[in-house]
Amino acid sequence: MSRPGFVLEVDDRTPPLVVHQGEGFRLEHFPAGTRVIYPPESLPGTDDVDGAIRHALANPEGSEPLAELLRPGMRLTIAFDDISLPLPPMRKPDVRQRVLEQVLTMAADAGVDDVELISANSLHRRLTPHELRDIVGERVYRSFFPAGRLTNHDAEDADNLLHVGLTDQGEDVEINRRAAESDLLVYVNVNLVAMDGGHKSVPIGLASYKSLKHHHNVKTMVHSHSFMDPDKSHLHHSAQRMGRLLAEHLKVFTVETTLNNDVFPSPYDFLLKREWEWGVRDQAAMLAARRGLALSPGRLRHRMFQDLRAPYGITGVHAGETEAVHRKTLATVHRQQMVEVQGQSDVMVMGVPYLGPYNVNSVMNPILATCSGLGYYFNSYRGQPVVRRGGAVILYHPVPRAFSQLHHPSYIDFFDEVLAESTDPSVIEAKFEHAYATDPWYIHLYRTSHAYHGVHPFYMWYWAAHAMDHVDEVVWVGADRSTVERMGFRAASTLADALEMVSTTVGRSPSISYLHNPPHLIADVR
Amino acid sequence: MGGFWRGTVDDVQAVARGWRWGRRPLVPRSAEPYAPEASTSVFPTTWARGGPARALREVVQVGGLTPLLRAEVSPHVTGLERLQQVGGPVLFVANHSSHLDTPLILCSLPAAWRRRTAVAAAADYFFDTWWRATGSAILFNTFPIERRGGAMSTTPADLLADGWSVLVFPEGTRSADGWVGRFRLGAAALAVENRVPVVPVSIRGSYAAMPRGRGWPRPGRMPVSVRFGDPLTCGAGESVRDFGVRIHGAVSQLLDEDASTWWDARRRAANGATPDASGPAVAGWRRVWAQTAPPVVTDRQPVWRR
Repeated sequence: MSRPGFVLEVDDRTPPLVVHQGEGFRLEHFPAGTRVIYPPESLPGTDDVDGAIRHALANPEGSEPLAELLRPGMRLTIAFDDISLPLPPMRKPDVRQRVLEQVLTMAADAGVDDVELISANSLHRRLTPHELRDIVGERVYRSFFPAGRLTNHDAEDADNLLHVGLTDQGEDVEINRRAAESDLLVYVNVNLVAMDGGHKSVPIGLASYKSLKHHHNVKTMVHSHSFMDPDKSHLHHSAQRMGRLLAEHLKVFTVETTLNNDVFPSPYDFLLKREWEWGVRDQAAMLAARRGLALSPGRLRHRMFQDLRAPYGITGVHAGETEAVHRKTLATVHRQQMVEVQGQSDVMVMGVPYLGPYNVNSVMNPILATCSGLGYYFNSYRGQPVVRRGGAVILYHPVPRAFSQLHHPSYIDFFDEVLAESTDPSVIEAKFEHAYATDPWYIHLYRTSHAYHGVHPFYMWYWAAHAMDHVDEVVWVGADRSTVERMGFRAASTLADALEMVSTTVGRSPSISYLHNPPHLIADVR
Repeated sequence: MGGFWRGTVDDVQAVARGWRWGRRPLVPRSAEPYAPEASTSVFPTTWARGGPARALREVVQVGGLTPLLRAEVSPHVTGLERLQQVGGPVLFVANHSSHLDTPLILCSLPAAWRRRTAVAAAADYFFDTWWRATGSAILFNTFPIERRGGAMSTTPADLLADGWSVLVFPEGTRSADGWVGRFRLGAAALAVENRVPVVPVSIRGSYAAMPRGRGWPRPGRMPVSVRFGDPLTCGAGESVRDFGVRIHGAVSQLLDEDASTWWDARRRAANGATPDASGPAVAGWRRVWAQTAPPVVTDRQPVWRR
């Protein structure tokens, strides 16, 4: 029986608590009275994943069974979530592979010849062949990749984009031509958090910049309260309008899968437990991990973390019409991640771990660290933010001035050129976005190398816009001082120093909430 | 490499302290699982009041505990003459803020009283393991009582009936910040039902000397004062609740008396102006700060006039 989420009040009996901090973690003593928000324990995964997939495909929500939609001579396109999900990547076999194999088996049995698979990477970097194979599995990869029928979506390939139309609010809906002109589009999703899935899959994952800019902008982001609550997110409202328009032109069969909270494999599973319940083995594993990391050179440490594969359990598979499916998916995600929290705090503390959606097999650069902390974790709420308006956020991450030349070339210029001039999302958007989005060199790297699109760092900054608008102070503990200063934040050596620094805003005895993740959680703030 | 070893030592120390190596692991209070009313299983302590256990206790208390206590703290005991007003068993009722309180009171009592005094101790704390239960029963003549709303063990009434005095801390637990908490009504009820007088006792300075969380008194022989008050009996028509309030008031008055003088405290009591023993409503740290200061003993006169 998994225990639900829990809010601890730190007292003199509380041992030091784990705080993630990039490629490492620390043990932190929090002031007495600090609220620590723990996610629910992992729900049990289904024992028969293949059976669950088979059942979902045969008994879909609001749609005919998949087998009935397949016929000889049809054009079938299968799109799937890219490497940004799940986090950390999944231990093989990936659930997408399992779904794809069953869908393709059905298609083969039905005599469908014209099948293409597309990684729905939107403006993310192209996946390498190796990364594609990890997601779809050897069998699918061998059957489709050599023939050019397993590809990355290219949002800058004008010939292979189709402008489907405008929504009632004038938003362009332009997606991958192959997908748009198919008789059936099957979308295979991994729904890690409540933000994912639903109409965010096709209208965003297969879209072009022209279409994305209608919701990936500062105004929409600031008014999405929050991204993890699709009903209150303007971004999701826009995606929903686009998805409904698409549904008039295209038959979409959505398959969504949900995961439990088993994000750390053994021997790191002590990170999934509540600290005061650590046994001798957990304490020994923690000490070994801490000292091992201290002894490891940076490259080895990076490798160790990036090679972590999570032993997720599958908590649900739902298939059929997108909105009907997503309602069920969200219910399962909420069951796994929702924690009830009473009231807001003056200060919110978060540890930013080594991984975000955009640095899988790459480097967590300062912009991505900001996006993870102020974008994703800050927005992990329903109702109202964990921290009050005008409060302070304290983040843990070393924030080194490190970038991947291969994956994040535009981020480097964004950091050096754009942030040097302004950190205000609205100013940045007005002054720089267009130039970066249309820069031929960034487009070239996006299309031919493995670089994120030129506009991507802007979007990362916009993700954090709601948090920047909401709180007055952001302090990073243990961060590179000059790096965070460039981003308009401040650095502290310790939590005590950080609290001292924010005391002018929140006073000397502020209420503090520490979001104890990963694993993921959504604070349902009443 | 030096940094690595220093970090390793720091980490190991942090874990040893945080997870209380060698001691009982603790669960944060807000994380304690809901405990349905436990069925009362009273640890038998009758043997602890038998001849051999009493002889052993006498040796340990006189030969070990008292000298040790005086070596670690500087006790100042007043009001023992008030015990002459009563002859038989009484209920000693004291405020509680430290593990020092029980040995302080026992070692303050005249030998005849000490030998016939038993101590009510929390069943879930002192009687959770056989060795802790046995040790505390031998050393302090403790007997278990349920403090989580369970039925009170029948032992205290039996003890009073057998002529034993009983020491009770009606707060139920040690104070978190040194100030006096709410008195539960069990002590008053026990006194009323068994028709025994209540002797209020105040203890000042034990929190400063050894607060919660410390396993040994602070160095420097901190001053601690123990003050016994006039015995109280429940008046005709007085309810248990009113009697409980009166006991709390008596302990508060003793604390006031200890901090000032008997005369001043008496006048304040007559005017209903005895300071609230539960402390001022100020920030938590200020409450702790006030209580961690060693008490100033006011009525100790210099032997030689200057």
